[in-house]
Amino acid sequence: MGKLDGKIACITGGTRSIGRAIAEAYLAEGATVVVNGRDEAKGQQCLKELNAGAKAAFYAGDASLQSTVEGLIDFTISKYGKLDICCLNSGGVQMTAPIAQMSDEEWKLEIDWNLNHVFWGMRRALNHMIPRQYGRIIVTSSVEGKLGKPGIAGYSTTKHAVNGLVKSVAREVGTLGITVNAILPGLIETDIVRETGPSSAIAMGLESYDAMIALFTQESAIKRPNKVEEVAAVAVLMATDGARNMTGCLFPVDGGTMPY
Amino acid sequence: MGLLDGRVACITGGTRGIGLAIASAFLDEGASVVINGRDAAKAKRSMDELGAGDRLHFIGGDVKQRSDCEAIVNGTAKHFGRLDILVPNAGGGSDYAPIAQLTDEAMQDALVWSFWHTFWTMRAALNLMIPNNYGRILAMSSVEGKMGKPGISSYVVAKHAINGLVKSAAQEVGTLGITVNALCPGAIETDIMKQDGPGAAQAMGLTYEGLLEVFANDSAVKRLNEVGDVAAVAVLLASDAGSGISGSLISIDGGTSPY
Repeated sequence: MGKLDGKIACITGGTRSIGRAIAEAYLAEGATVVVNGRDEAKGQQCLKELNAGAKAAFYAGDASLQSTVEGLIDFTISKYGKLDICCLNSGGVQMTAPIAQMSDEEWKLEIDWNLNHVFWGMRRALNHMIPRQYGRIIVTSSVEGKLGKPGIAGYSTTKHAVNGLVKSVAREVGTLGITVNAILPGLIETDIVRETGPSSAIAMGLESYDAMIALFTQESAIKRPNKVEEVAAVAVLMATDGARNMTGCLFPVDGGTMPY
Repeated sequence: MGLLDGRVACITGGTRGIGLAIASAFLDEGASVVINGRDAAKAKRSMDELGAGDRLHFIGGDVKQRSDCEAIVNGTAKHFGRLDILVPNAGGGSDYAPIAQLTDEAMQDALVWSFWHTFWTMRAALNLMIPNNYGRILAMSSVEGKMGKPGISSYVVAKHAINGLVKSAAQEVGTLGITVNALCPGAIETDIMKQDGPGAAQAMGLTYEGLLEVFANDSAVKRLNEVGDVAAVAVLLASDAGSGISGSLISIDGGTSPY
């Protein structure tokens, strides 16, 4: 018997890295999962690898767009009849820069991708969850949601904002059977970090991608990057019925990096 | 297959309340567990209920004594051959009063019971864990480890101190396969809460029921927490998946703490 038998989940950015690990962990615990990603081919490949038959589905779209986020939630409810667990996991940067050089386009993208996507998703999900008096909303924030770093101000700003959103919404729906939590991972060498890491390293004034990885790991107590499975285990815990009293929680998975 | 198969855990104050719930959850996940308490008869009743046979062992002792703390930790390793997980869970306070009226003895009692006991057991456990390059320490803090409340400053101070100890210890042993975290539950109506709550309430100018109401109203869920909430997080932190979580002060408080 799984801890999430009969539950229906959707995950933005679910075809790879953290989102993918959450999808796999949820499936292993008996849930049905809809994963989202931009690339149709990658999505189909992901479904093939998940090998979960009718218990997994893919919804294509860019999570920085309102239509995608709301569409994913509507699709999940229409296909599986309900939504119990909404993981708002997608996020990142494209071409970050020190604020003095930050473009409006990049700033707007980071706000849409990291913050508005979470707002759009929460609002849509809550309108389904509130009448049902049940729900789990799990946001992938970051260690940067509590700390600042030069060169990635947009990311840090939006992740801080997401933490505020989580804490406020947890209080709005605290008595309605709905929990709202954030997971704050430290650096994980995900595909997206490998893709955008080199330019982020430059924006941070570092000589290389490796230097950026070293900086993050040196700030931790464990002196290594975190792993996607470590985040997924927390996402499972937060999704269970037993976690009904855990809400508004900013759960670090950062090897002891953040001070509070 | 359990998440803690083959692991050995030591839980102070494990015969009732949160400690007992953690013991039960660890046993369910395949661990062997030592529970500690002052009252052997109470321990026997709890052990009979858990029905875990040889995987459960009791070591009596008063955690307010350093020698007992060390005997509990070292006794676990002696009995089961190793120590993987330490849960310094016991703690509390007595003779609560506003600071203007708080006695030295009451402040000292809370510090010894919660903080010194955590330090004594942690030090003894680290000396066993460091050579093994493996360990999990889950200190029992509280929402009061992050927030203040009038009338119970001794408890608040002791729990804040535990959080500082946890964060420092995590940095010291971070590369040695040992994680050190604090669990910060909201109010739970355990036996000890029923026992000490009326005194704490009085120091806060409240009835016992009024005290429970204040705690529930501070939260987002508007109710008290339950021991199972804490045990579920303890299992996660003790498992292999918890290897990347250290120095964290995990809130299990229904959305009460601001950070």
